[in-house]
Amino acid sequence: MTYKITQYAGYSVIHLEGDVDLSTSPNARKIILECIEAKNNVLVDLSGVDYIDSSGVASLVEGYQLAKSGNTEFGLVNVSQAALDVLQLARLDTVFPIHLSLDAVAKVAKEPG
Amino acid sequence: MNKKIAEPVVEVQSLVAHYGSCEVLHGVDLSIQDGEIMVIMGGSGSGKSTVLRHMLGLNTPTSGVIKLLGQDITHISASKMDALRRNIGVSFQGGALFNSMTVGENIALPLREHTQLDEKTIRIMCRMKLELVNLAGFENLMPAQLSGGMVKRAALARAIIMDPKLLFFDEPSAGLDPVVSAELDELILRIRQAMKTTIVVVTHELDSTFRIADRITVLDQGNILMVGAIDEVRNSKNKRIKDLLERRAREIKIDAEEYLNRLTGETG
Amino acid sequence: MLRYIEKIGRATVGSIEELGYASSLLAESFYWIVFGARRGQAVSVSATFYQMLQVGIAAIPICAALSFAVGIMLAIQGINTLKAFGAESQVVVGIALSVTREFAPLIIGILIAGRSGSAIAARVGTMQVSQEIDALRVIGISPVRYLVVPALLAMIVMVPTLTFFADIVGMFGGAFFSVLELDISMQAYIDRTIKALVVDDVMQGLWKSVVFAVIIAIVGFVNGFSVSGGAEGVGKATTRSVVQAISLIIVADMVFTFYLNH
Repeated sequence: MTYKITQYAGYSVIHLEGDVDLSTSPNARKIILECIEAKNNVLVDLSGVDYIDSSGVASLVEGYQLAKSGNTEFGLVNVSQAALDVLQLARLDTVFPIHLSLDAVAKVAKEPG
Repeated sequence: MNKKIAEPVVEVQSLVAHYGSCEVLHGVDLSIQDGEIMVIMGGSGSGKSTVLRHMLGLNTPTSGVIKLLGQDITHISASKMDALRRNIGVSFQGGALFNSMTVGENIALPLREHTQLDEKTIRIMCRMKLELVNLAGFENLMPAQLSGGMVKRAALARAIIMDPKLLFFDEPSAGLDPVVSAELDELILRIRQAMKTTIVVVTHELDSTFRIADRITVLDQGNILMVGAIDEVRNSKNKRIKDLLERRAREIKIDAEEYLNRLTGETG
Repeated sequence: MLRYIEKIGRATVGSIEELGYASSLLAESFYWIVFGARRGQAVSVSATFYQMLQVGIAAIPICAALSFAVGIMLAIQGINTLKAFGAESQVVVGIALSVTREFAPLIIGILIAGRSGSAIAARVGTMQVSQEIDALRVIGISPVRYLVVPALLAMIVMVPTLTFFADIVGMFGGAFFSVLELDISMQAYIDRTIKALVVDDVMQGLWKSVVFAVIIAIVGFVNGFSVSGGAEGVGKATTRSVVQAISLIIVADMVFTFYLNH
């Protein structure tokens, strides 16, 4: 798994690439939590993720909880069908703010209210 | 991780097994494809549990090859077998939850033993699996406090905690009422749908078999009678399979003289 | 006649098989102790401490009561016997030597075999019946590493510890009776005991108890793992493990005593 962080419309976007599984998810978790702890609004871009297992999803859950308690925003972008299946199985597709694309997020951000 | 494996996920070739000096499997061949739900069906004494124990590496075969995820488990080093087991989940007939641990500890055990995940991640993963099997909020109970259906669901949660590629199921419906059993079948289908897991179910329950199976293997007295899709098995002309489907008792031909000798204990 | 020979033959083969299994269990335990961490399956320290608590700490009251009683018994017998020679005061030496060399390890061995050896057989037997052992194996956890090693280590530490404790309580029991009966002071009794004892006496008893510890643990596990046939099988295995462990302890004690005193 590799990652890069970019800035977009007031969000820190974490692009994850490759497999997020039992061996790589601790690293993903660390990156996500650090980014949120730095009081950034965070989006996790899953377009490059081929496979995400429940340890990866658990890290996203932890991140979302931390963002909520710190009053920052958190969301998922470009969720692939495979990742969506895993989220749906745990009924988490209704919990996370899921955005179709970064542009969609930007539009919402420009029109407050 | 998601690489397409061209070869079957489970491949059993001419498996012969003995209990003591009694041969119980007479050359079983089996091939299960990626993402398939294969039900191994048969009456008691058909050898289906024995086949399962060999596929799990709990028994050593007399001869034959058993390949799981491309690796021959009859000729594999202990450490490779350990690594392989992390990709395999098993739900036992009676659940086999560890009675000295809470439900949550049971489910988390594979993660605690095999991974370096953060304790928080482990706890979230456990709760996710408990949600999935509709046992949310039961993590601090002891297995003895659960009903039969709940034990099975907790056992399933433990079996899938590591997101295995291959899931074995021993008698999922045994001892459950029809409604609970149907729910469990539904769960099996959902898991396959979401995680693309290859699932092997060993059972004698017909209703359950026809609900979940992609293909069915019918075992009888240590031999494979047939392998086929649901309809093929339903329309089979084979007498033993018809008996099984219609729940008919086995007809036993009586040799009058031999029978008499058996009763009186005379030999010859 | 032929049937008897066949029966004897079967029993012999059976016990040789069991002995082989016991040795392999012991060998595998040492493998995990030494190489477990390297294979990513280290022996759990907390499980070992938990077992030590169960085997050792929880047994302290009963150990104290029994060894105190044995001390008093030795004093009564010793004084009565030695009276005939007018050598009652020699009872101090007799108690010191027989408690440290023989009675403390033996009593503790038998007590722990009955208390913890049976518990091991029952626990593992139940796990075997409910397929929990199979579950451990398919999860990729070695039952030997996970179950046997913590209990074995706990036994090896706690049985000698309890034996040493029983040495002291036993001698104190002897002293308690002798002081009343022989009209000597406690201080004098203690001084004479210390003078009579050498380190070797105590060590002899402690080495024995290490061997007893291994016997209790391994016999319990061999019987537990071999359980088949439901709850009845568990009961049988439990009884069998106690009888076997106590018998082996007594035989081992005899062999040990013979070699150490020649």
